[in-house]
Amino acid sequence: MYRQLMGLQQLSRRTFASSARRQIENTVKEKQKLFQEDNGLPIHLKGGSKDALLYRATITLTVFGAAYVVYELFSAAMPKKT
Amino acid sequence: MAHQAHPYHMVDPSPWPLTGAIAALLMTSGLATWFHFQSTVLMTLGTALLLLTMYQWWRDIIREGTFQGHHTPPVQKGLRFGMILFITSEVFFFLGFFWAFYHASLAPTPELGGCWPPTGVSTLDPFEVPLLNTAVLLASGVTVTWAHHSIMEGERKQAVHSLGLTILLGFYFTFLQGLEYYEAPFTIADGVYGSTFFVATGFHGLHVIIGSTFLAVCLYRQVRYHFTSEHHFGFEAAAWYWHFVDVVWLFLYISIYWWGS
Repeated sequence: MYRQLMGLQQLSRRTFASSARRQIENTVKEKQKLFQEDNGLPIHLKGGSKDALLYRATITLTVFGAAYVVYELFSAAMPKKT
Repeated sequence: MAHQAHPYHMVDPSPWPLTGAIAALLMTSGLATWFHFQSTVLMTLGTALLLLTMYQWWRDIIREGTFQGHHTPPVQKGLRFGMILFITSEVFFFLGFFWAFYHASLAPTPELGGCWPPTGVSTLDPFEVPLLNTAVLLASGVTVTWAHHSIMEGERKQAVHSLGLTILLGFYFTFLQGLEYYEAPFTIADGVYGSTFFVATGFHGLHVIIGSTFLAVCLYRQVRYHFTSEHHFGFEAAAWYWHFVDVVWLFLYISIYWWGS
């Protein structure tokens, strides 16, 4: 009977605690496990598919940008005759 | 796993130095094409690439330090040295603009009327908004120190509050400066007075924005439990940078706003 009463006290405490404070969970341990996994991935891709997407987008802009700037510089160096 | 015979952190091969270099190329040639051909495509592309590079590069450093444990005490020492050297280089950057200001103001040319402030320039009252701005930044120096002590003592809530307050004070400064810029009776085109005023205070304002952003990232990391009471170098670097920004303002205030008025 006493144990049940103690259990109820604990239960109500837990419920109040979770509703009274909107806590941000500490996910550092999970992140540490993810980034220390021995899968041969470099750090900039080790986070998953979101990393790969962002990387591909950045490289695409880089390659396109490099080509575009060379084109612009050549066309600026050779002014069009009217 | 190969064993290294030195305490330094050899990072994984990374594409971000290349993307950052291309971003710089795009931004600089983009500036030129904007000036000469009225096209902002290159500059916009360069800026986007720069933002992507910064986000991913610093994200990777956080992963290497907080999630992989590579920032051991010897490595941290190197990081500290690096941040100190970077801030020193920024001091020299501002030194140049102060040199320009004192060169122009200590020996004002006849074109200015032989006086400083130059003839016809109505300066801002240093005891109005500029003085408030000084108080705001000094207060933010106190709150960032409060935040540091809170982190070291494991006081999570206080750390979040004081760091948040620091960032708000930073935003308040930027807001007030923005108002001053809008209301100023002179522009950047008003001779050497306008040039020295707006270039020096303008670059300072940019550094306030950079510093506020750095602190905001630290706030995000503090909330997400990245910092421990013994290891929080990212925050310390941000606090050092913030103090540097504060000190530059004090020199600006005394030289340009007060003595120069």
